[in-house]
Amino acid sequence: MAYDDYLDGKPVIVTAALTGGVHGKEAHPNLPETPAEIGDAAAACEAAGASIVHLHARRDNGERAFDAERFQAVTDAVRERADDVIVQHSTGGTGVPTDLRAQPLRTDPAPETASLDMGPLNRYDRLTSENTRATVRTLRGEMRERGIKPELEVFNDGHLNEALRIVDDLAEPPYLNLIFGPGTLSLPHPRSLLTLVESLPAGAEFNVLGFGRHQLPLTTLSVLLGGHVRVGLEDNLYYRRGELAESNAQLVERAVRIAETLGRPVASPAEAREIIKI
Amino acid sequence: MADRCPYLEYRRESGGKRFETERAYCTAAEAFVQPMRADVCNDRYGLGHATDCEIFLEAEAGTDAGRD
Ligand code: SF4
Repeated sequence: MAYDDYLDGKPVIVTAALTGGVHGKEAHPNLPETPAEIGDAAAACEAAGASIVHLHARRDNGERAFDAERFQAVTDAVRERADDVIVQHSTGGTGVPTDLRAQPLRTDPAPETASLDMGPLNRYDRLTSENTRATVRTLRGEMRERGIKPELEVFNDGHLNEALRIVDDLAEPPYLNLIFGPGTLSLPHPRSLLTLVESLPAGAEFNVLGFGRHQLPLTTLSVLLGGHVRVGLEDNLYYRRGELAESNAQLVERAVRIAETLGRPVASPAEAREIIKI
Repeated sequence: MADRCPYLEYRRESGGKRFETERAYCTAAEAFVQPMRADVCNDRYGLGHATDCEIFLEAEAGTDAGRD
């Protein structure tokens, strides 16, 4: 049971989501966009206790990039600057064809893990990130070929159904990211998190992502429930109400402090590899 | 359809924000555009400003052309 993992002092994996694919420097001047900025942020987050960095790529003007070359530049910059941090590439991309979304899987070396969106997500007033079953199947197939561990992105309860459809085909343990926030995300409330955690497949490892002001309380609850946490400027720009976070590393430092205060050590990258089996 | 939105400009500076590289700026909203929306502004990946941007549609509805 998940709470037993808390009582046993199981290490917490902290993932830092550095950049994202939605907002950029127009929203936060310190959000890293260039490969060098992302590499520096990854190293700072690793030093602060993150064992996984979740990466997106951007053009020089901050706009989204999906090509393998740009992801290669980003992942090279991270590997040059960081020590042993686990690299996770995003395969998300609202409105973007599946083949382009597979490009981040084609770097050398391949990322150790990659995100795999489990279903649709509304954006703005007129966009939906569709994530059809066919898209999921295609991306998952390429991850399998390249030995990349998928992190199943559960944007809402219905996406847990989708995850359960494929879970038997995945290597143990299944690794899920439970996501809470506005719109088509799961309702951002502790009871939603409790319900989802109760419904997870046996042996699953789970990560919690709360958007905006929900990042702090829901990641804290995840620590108590034996889960892992994801923090960073992709999901939350603020340190507290009305005060922008200084950096990704500042958010990681707080997550580490909370986990340790609550009695769970923070996983090193080697321990994280052991926990999620990559 | 134009291959990018007529309200789109690239600017380094506006409203007290200044960047090293020119970034997408929406003259209808009078604000810098989020990177994800900039793909709509530029009609990339099959996205299109005339169908996928509510700001464009509202701006056009407020013009004579939009009322026809
Ligand atoms: S935000 Fe909409 S209206 Fe503004 S430039 Fe982009 S597509 Fe045009």
